[in-house]
Amino acid sequence: MATTAPPYGREVRIKVAGPAGAGIKASGETLARSFAKAGLNVFDLTEYPSLIKGGHNVYVLRVSADPITSHVDPVDVLVALDQLTVELNASELVDGGALVYDPDDVTLDTLDARLRERICPVPVRLTQIVKDAGGKPIMRNVAALGAVIGHLDFPLRFLSESLHTQFARKAPEIAEQNVAVAAAGHDAAREAGCAFPGRVEPLPDAPEKLLVDGNESVGLGALAAGIGFYAAYPMTPASPLLHFMARYGADAGVVVKHTEDEIAAMNMVVGAAFGGGRTMCASAGGGFALMVEAFGLAGVSESAVVVGVFSRTAPGTGLPTWTEQADLRYVMHAAPGEFPRVILSPGDMTDCFELAWKAFNLADRLQTPVVLLSEQYLQESHASVEPFDVAAVTIDRGKLIPEGDVSRHDGALGCEGRYLRYKLTEDGVSWRALPGVRGASQVVNSYEHDEYGHAEEGAQMRALQEEKRMKKLDLARTLVPPPAYFGPEEADVSVVLFGATKLPVLEARDWLEASGVAVNVMQVVTLWPFPTDEVRAFLGAARRSLVVEGNYSGQLEGLIRQHALLEVDEHLRRYDGRPFSPEQVFGKVLAMVGRGPEEAAAPAPEERTAVQVGEPSGKGADR
Amino acid sequence: MSERDGTRPTITPNDFDIFRPLNWCPGCGNYQMLSAMKAALADLGLAQHEFAIVFGIGQHGNGADFIKVQAFHALHGRALPTATGLALVNPDLRIIVQSGDGDGYGLGMGHFVHSVRRNIDIAYIGHNNQIYGLTTGQASPTSNQGMKTPSTPSGVLEEPVNPLGVALAEGATFVARAFAGDVGHMTWLFKEAISHRGFALVDVFQPCVTFNKINTFKWYRERVYKLEEADYEPDDRTRAFELAESIVHIHNEDPPEASRIPTGIFYRQEGVPTYQDGVPQLADGPLWKRAREPRDVTGVLRAFA
Ligand SMILES: Cc1ncc(C[n+]2csc(CCOP(=O)(O)OP(=O)(O)O)c2C)c(N)n1
Ligand code: SF4
Repeated sequence: MATTAPPYGREVRIKVAGPAGAGIKASGETLARSFAKAGLNVFDLTEYPSLIKGGHNVYVLRVSADPITSHVDPVDVLVALDQLTVELNASELVDGGALVYDPDDVTLDTLDARLRERICPVPVRLTQIVKDAGGKPIMRNVAALGAVIGHLDFPLRFLSESLHTQFARKAPEIAEQNVAVAAAGHDAAREAGCAFPGRVEPLPDAPEKLLVDGNESVGLGALAAGIGFYAAYPMTPASPLLHFMARYGADAGVVVKHTEDEIAAMNMVVGAAFGGGRTMCASAGGGFALMVEAFGLAGVSESAVVVGVFSRTAPGTGLPTWTEQADLRYVMHAAPGEFPRVILSPGDMTDCFELAWKAFNLADRLQTPVVLLSEQYLQESHASVEPFDVAAVTIDRGKLIPEGDVSRHDGALGCEGRYLRYKLTEDGVSWRALPGVRGASQVVNSYEHDEYGHAEEGAQMRALQEEKRMKKLDLARTLVPPPAYFGPEEADVSVVLFGATKLPVLEARDWLEASGVAVNVMQVVTLWPFPTDEVRAFLGAARRSLVVEGNYSGQLEGLIRQHALLEVDEHLRRYDGRPFSPEQVFGKVLAMVGRGPEEAAAPAPEERTAVQVGEPSGKGADR
Repeated sequence: MSERDGTRPTITPNDFDIFRPLNWCPGCGNYQMLSAMKAALADLGLAQHEFAIVFGIGQHGNGADFIKVQAFHALHGRALPTATGLALVNPDLRIIVQSGDGDGYGLGMGHFVHSVRRNIDIAYIGHNNQIYGLTTGQASPTSNQGMKTPSTPSGVLEEPVNPLGVALAEGATFVARAFAGDVGHMTWLFKEAISHRGFALVDVFQPCVTFNKINTFKWYRERVYKLEEADYEPDDRTRAFELAESIVHIHNEDPPEASRIPTGIFYRQEGVPTYQDGVPQLADGPLWKRAREPRDVTGVLRAFA
């Protein structure tokens, strides 16, 4: 009989924590890149309050030779960059876990005696090391990274490479200085002689991986799709996409505009779509609130725009740097009146890339707004992934007449030979001509309008135009990405989810399988139009069903009830700002099959037996 | 004549006619503004595919239905960002924005200020009737202090917005005022504004004969004078600012001799780089003429390997 504890694989979990403003996220990324360069799988999670100084920042990195899809809770190596970290995080260490700290400014004396016995201290004089190397205080983190690498017996050269990448834009001396600091940290940790049972080895003939977060993945997808205009106003967690576009997009010919507000961003994007560009804006839910007016404009004017809505927690300003999945109904119903929209919801980095480029094609095919609904957890976590399939990217601009003379384009003309921007058609999509093209005199209108685009209040035309637009949903159903399925056809428990909840659920699914519980998963990729038939089929075949979603009221579950007319057996919801942990899902499913406690308790610290992450090289410590 | 011979076809104001009923009130200043716009476009020889007009929401905005051009009838107050998006993907188009006083200086004031300071190459025509027309006569941001309207029954308390002053303060490179009662003068100002490179404001006093019973054609006619006839050179920003200020404190009951209203070009500065000039991505022409194939991102991907 399998246990009720998660069967973790060959992996090491590293947590770096300290004061906000200490560059923890950036140095964590350097560490992640070092392991990824060695072909290992990584996933990271950053937890930080909405403060630049004076808060507690936490970076968690998971490294494995096996496939992994999310973060997990236990910690094998904790780097305490301040005393607060010791008080807050030391108890999360597994038995035998290592605590890296600077004995000159952090003491372990405050720890409970039993806890102190369980863990393995790795004192490294971080500040002194930096001083000796003539570096700046911010380099303490790099000394700490060196210490982690040394402690895990991992070759230093990957960290050196990663530091060179990070400082490539700055002077080479800075990179060298950082490498020297890392090397000193590495040596000091080895001298500390803590025998942690984990070792990390590079994979031989490592396949190339990308280390990306959701923002970068969306940005890459948009770039590949030929985006021409990106407008945004900074808001966590979408700001990094603006930075990505400004840095990589501008080089590639994209016009990038940091606007006066989100209202301007969305209206500009609509104007840019009128001009024929592939256009996108993105924000968090709060910024989308300001965009909603022009989102409706995009709907009635039939503008092909892509809108990123990257959720964070709670209404108003909420919890700016934490995650939630509560904007589904809001995005679905945003703006006055009714109009067709498509809502795509990526669940991992690869989805982010693919759905981003597909969103542009859908927007052009349907001439209506397409939303990429994602969330902070996905947008700001990094994972090592297979290089994106750029060869699969296609461009479909739909019914667009970019050049020539519109008056020769029969499909676009009315009986008097005049161009009809909003011609009533079978599929609801009319030929679109662009300003700058001969004969394209037209009004693209925020008012309800006739086929020319002129404002129109007649009952019949109003109804016809509404029906024309709404027909696009039928076309959309034939074009949108279908749900994704994971796991066996027959299962003990069937899970329905959307968005990045996919990550912890797939992790838990693997553990459950190893524990003898069969689970299959349906990821609703296109949330609107809702895949009613597919949900019915999936749940109809389920033995026991579970909906996992990151909101209070069960928005996805409500859609299932509303559209598929089905009740699910159970649900798991979270709305405390944190992403689901796989342990939580694991516990819930075990309870559903009568194998565990009802509420998944926080798992007790594991006892680690030796783990080998990666393939042993046979060589000794290789610097 | 045709463009094939290398000559441009002659364009007349009638080329922009549309055979739809115009439903502004008889006598409304918007009719003169429409004629002036058509005449200006024809005089400039602009063919329909060479420019676009973005309209706001209000009586002025209904003009979108009364002229045969490429038009976007945008949201209330949002004509400028919509036009800016268009300008930023198609540098070949001349772009004109038509907006009202409520539309552009009320709800859209933020966009107005930012558009001026970015010197985006747009000609901005303000239909300033000092009242909300479409929503039946409420006070607007340019209504004079003390004006009684359904939304201000005991009189407007605020000072009116000074659009010319705001534009000058934000560094506008073309600032002008017209009066809808003088189509010839207005046509000339429209042409100058459309030809100007950079943000060009023409604020037009456009009487609303139905809801503004005070600032009527007669009221304006008794007060307006032309700067060109007053020995004024539009090259001094400080003087322009003082001149713009001069009408802010006019009260409706002030006698005409005490409330003179200058029209014409207040300030003009040529050769200032526009926003578009600073965007190298626009150098290759309209975006739709490029990117038919997926963009090759392998180079960018390398940064994440
Ligand atoms: C967001 C929004 N708020 C309010 C309105 C209603 N509305 C339409 S036109 C208008 C004011 C029109 O005044 P002005 O801009 O001066 O134009 P005019 O009609 O005088 O030409 C208002 C408030 C609207 N359309 N949209
Ligand atoms: S209400 Fe005023 S602005 Fe509107 S059409 Fe009538 S006169 Fe013109």
